[in-house]
Amino acid sequence: MDPATSFTDTAPVARTRARERVTRRLTLAGYGFLAPALVVLVIFLLAPAVWVFGLSLFKWDLIANNPLFVGLENFRILLTHDDLWWQSVRQTVYYTAVSVPVSMALGLLLAVLLNGRIRGRHLLRGAIFAPYVTPVVATIMIWQWILNADYGVLNSLLAAVHLPRPAWTLSPNWIMPSIIIYGVWQHTGLNLVIYLAGLASLPAELHEAARVDGARAWSAFWRISWPLLSPTTYFLLFINLIGSFKVFVPVYVFTTNTGGPDHAAETIGFYLYQQAFAFFHAGYAGAISVALFLLILVLTGVQMRFFSRRVFYT
Amino acid sequence: MRPGRAGLAARYLVLVPVAAIFVFPFYWMVVLSLNRPDSVFDFPPHLLPQWQLQNYVQTWRFVNWPGLFANTVITTVARVLLVLVTSILAGYAFASMRFAGKALAFSVVLAVYMVPTEVTLVPNYITLSRLGWIDTYQAQVVPLAASVFGIFLMRQYFLTLPRDLWEAAQLDGCGHLRYLAQVAAPLARPAVVTIALLQFIEGWNAFLWPLIVTSTDRVRPLQVGVAAFAVTDSTQPVLLAAGAFMTTLPILVVFLVAQRQLVGGIASTGIRG
Repeated sequence: MDPATSFTDTAPVARTRARERVTRRLTLAGYGFLAPALVVLVIFLLAPAVWVFGLSLFKWDLIANNPLFVGLENFRILLTHDDLWWQSVRQTVYYTAVSVPVSMALGLLLAVLLNGRIRGRHLLRGAIFAPYVTPVVATIMIWQWILNADYGVLNSLLAAVHLPRPAWTLSPNWIMPSIIIYGVWQHTGLNLVIYLAGLASLPAELHEAARVDGARAWSAFWRISWPLLSPTTYFLLFINLIGSFKVFVPVYVFTTNTGGPDHAAETIGFYLYQQAFAFFHAGYAGAISVALFLLILVLTGVQMRFFSRRVFYT
Repeated sequence: MRPGRAGLAARYLVLVPVAAIFVFPFYWMVVLSLNRPDSVFDFPPHLLPQWQLQNYVQTWRFVNWPGLFANTVITTVARVLLVLVTSILAGYAFASMRFAGKALAFSVVLAVYMVPTEVTLVPNYITLSRLGWIDTYQAQVVPLAASVFGIFLMRQYFLTLPRDLWEAAQLDGCGHLRYLAQVAAPLARPAVVTIALLQFIEGWNAFLWPLIVTSTDRVRPLQVGVAAFAVTDSTQPVLLAAGAFMTTLPILVVFLVAQRQLVGGIASTGIRG
């Protein structure tokens, strides 16, 4: 039935009023349903993201509680006088530039190998995915012991094959590689699972190609599957870059809250935490937050500009 | 499609060792936690457990485990329930209700999706200390009581429900809330399970935010308590390993029981859009 015809015997004015009342009631109901989520998201995510820009213009020691407007002074200090900030940026870039490509490549390789009906698929996938869901603090504690310079399993393995034994978490040169190894171990499962979902969504005829052995399978993969997987790769690059730019917990636990020997593991996330919650420099930490925010925006902007044209959407 | 025999062997040749390396730290956690305290300093290390179950008794005495476990369970359960309620209500409103300003409200949610949570740490800490919420349960729960991903997932699911269902319910005099509670939400069970699982894991593993907003063992969760234990007592690897295993076991059990739903839920974030 056409909704308009049901009102034919009422006067036009009454009809409009009735409709207005219904609309108002619907709107109220709609916002009633939205309110709980919106209130939380606005108060604890949207408003702070705006507020932090204002905060960054003040010199404010959280304990003394006397915010002092200083304009862009925090940014001037951060960008021109703070070596530790630049060191944390370099180390964050180092962490990202190594861990993201390695764990994405490994995730893709394992996904290709696990794709199709092979026996033990769930078990193998579960084994590689488990690190992603288990408590980070607990697994880092074990990795610390695996990487222990004197009694660790890894070094005893290296000794057995007569390779040099680094001091890992105790050495300024090896603390970042330690954290990167952990990051790859922890994160590859996510890349694997999402690549597997990407592979499963490819047209069925392509899986036929997987039956071809050797060189032909290799070139078939790069010519057909890889371009078709580009939306998945693009999405993974996006979440991996953002995630690794914020790396914090491994630094905190691996270095027992010190930032490592000679600040060698200081990352942006850790530096932000220290400025805010160890030194209580709220305004300065606000400036670091803004800088991190802008860095992430630039990073995603660059990614969109350079990669989105190469993404092949079916 | 099944790969050829030679191809299959080559696959296992790579997959099995790699999977073994990924599992090894969990195995090592168990072995260490059962070793004699002095034997962990032997080099090369012992690869098999020595079954020293008293390590667990000793670890249990070191830390207020029942308190930490209770705090984690309370905050995790509260978070799961609240996120479910907010996601179901908002997801339903976005999918099935017509009202003025809906597009604007949806773009607010999208904008929130772009905000890295690290950026909000300092402002939120200030808000909570103004509210007098530092070192409370609500500080660990309320700021995380809504999830953009949860809203998206519920909305996607509700969009797939046939419109006739709602029309039939309306003829029976059913309002939105009753329809949602009795028809739509039960039908959306897969999405509800996915959100509950992901929130459970995130809640159980939460570290950075509780570290910032708690200061005593009264409300502190497991992860923060264990990290404090690790920092103050790093000389006793055996006890640390036992503690690590106790905090990991519940997650491993959930993972083994619900691997399929969990992996499916996480993968759906990748194929969305």
